[in-house]
Amino acid sequence: MTPDEILAKVLEEQTLATDSPELVKLRSTREDVETLLCSEYGGSPTIRYGGSKAKNTMIRASYDLDMTCYFGRDDNQAGATLEEMYNDVARVLEKKYSVDRKRSALRLTSKVPETYKIDLHVDVVPGRFIDGNGGDVFLHQSEGDKKLLKTNLDVHIQHIRGSGVTDAIRLLKLWKVLNGVDVKTFVLELLVVDLLSKHKQAPLSAQVELVLEAFRDRVDELSVEDPANPTGNDLSERLDSARPSLSAAADQTLWVIEQHGWATAFGLTNQQTKAERIQILNRAVTSVATPTKPWRSNL
Amino acid sequence: MKKGWFEENPALFAKIQTETRSVYPHLHFCIRDKVVYVTGSFPVRQDGREIDRYQVEIQLPPNFPSGIPRVRETGMRIPRIADRHMYADGTACLFVEEEWIMANPEGTDWFVFLNGPVRNFFIGQCLVEAGAGWPFGQRSHGSKGILECYAELTCANDLRTAYNYLEMLGKKKLKGHWPCPCGSRMKIRDCHRQVIWSLRQRIPHQVFQNSWKHVQNELHSKRQPVHR
Repeated sequence: MTPDEILAKVLEEQTLATDSPELVKLRSTREDVETLLCSEYGGSPTIRYGGSKAKNTMIRASYDLDMTCYFGRDDNQAGATLEEMYNDVARVLEKKYSVDRKRSALRLTSKVPETYKIDLHVDVVPGRFIDGNGGDVFLHQSEGDKKLLKTNLDVHIQHIRGSGVTDAIRLLKLWKVLNGVDVKTFVLELLVVDLLSKHKQAPLSAQVELVLEAFRDRVDELSVEDPANPTGNDLSERLDSARPSLSAAADQTLWVIEQHGWATAFGLTNQQTKAERIQILNRAVTSVATPTKPWRSNL
Repeated sequence: MKKGWFEENPALFAKIQTETRSVYPHLHFCIRDKVVYVTGSFPVRQDGREIDRYQVEIQLPPNFPSGIPRVRETGMRIPRIADRHMYADGTACLFVEEEWIMANPEGTDWFVFLNGPVRNFFIGQCLVEAGAGWPFGQRSHGSKGILECYAELTCANDLRTAYNYLEMLGKKKLKGHWPCPCGSRMKIRDCHRQVIWSLRQRIPHQVFQNSWKHVQNELHSKRQPVHR
């Protein structure tokens, strides 16, 4: 297979069908969250969906749904300040979920004892509309010096969805997950869009190589700008902290591509049926020379 | 400031980085606050095929290779519950520490660690996720698991005897004329001297003390008897 055929196969493997168990579960969680928020706040907040599905960059290895919970400009039922609102929405969600408080989003994980802390792939983003137009919003930021952030979901979605390089973004998101690269997905997406702005017609493998080479060779020169708030949302801090990780992982991946090929670098697997998988796993068990028994402290 | 192991032994660090890159192309080394972390995805492979992969962060301790690395599953795929041998922060419980030290007296060989307990653990997770049991068995949680381990290491017949061994091994000094913890009423020097001395030679005293404290704390918090 050529590099581009391999990458097309990787993308195919990473595509979630509408009726896939992952998306069925995601839809069910989405409905539960919506019901929970509406039962508390009535029809007041505007609930919309963003994230990788809306941006057309969803992959099996990393899929998520951003749910907005935006209140009207003069709606104080979740709190008068943005911080109060962020905390109040978290309080409501904690009735049913375990909530990890991220910078602006509330990440939901399972609270059910058997599946405790499993990622539910849903982030709820509380915010307040700036005006009556239903576009720009203010979000609370729980980290960093700046506590308030102006943003716009539609602008973000359109910037990525309409970039013409969503396949490259999907592959580089997979690269991030595979290699544990410590960079925010949003920052990575913006970097890819910017680096490929003049290479939209290039073959996929050339696009990916170009991005990885930029990360390896000139990561310190790269910069990103929030399309929804170019002057007010400084992403440089988040990019700066990611530079060493981007550069080191890109260097290793380019080496892997050269030595072992694209299939290894992008973790192309031959998908198996459940029965095949169990068979192979059982062979793996019999191949183990020194078994070990897991344990856990109760303290 | 004390040098990190990777600064004191740069040749070892360079060697494991180079070799890891070939065998595990999606694992990367980084250093934060003088601690080496290995991040990326760990593949579960068999017959040259990748069956599955888990996102991990492995922390190599300051006293590596004598210290044991700590493995965290970062993909939030495995429930953080005791029955899956996971702590709330995603740390995986691969084994009782003493078992690993006894089997690896020279310290942790990086590849033996990855290809052994780490691979075993994730094979187990794949099977448990598919509804099967732990393929190599599992230790009971908490003190009971520690005592099961000591029962195996000392060939004790029951957990009460394993408890006696652990109590003795946790002491700073040990005299040959003391009664043997096996319950034979003989002196240690005339009974299980070899077993006890072998354990004390290989396992750092601090490890015995930690396990002993663990058992004591759990007993006091639960007021549970040690079952025969």
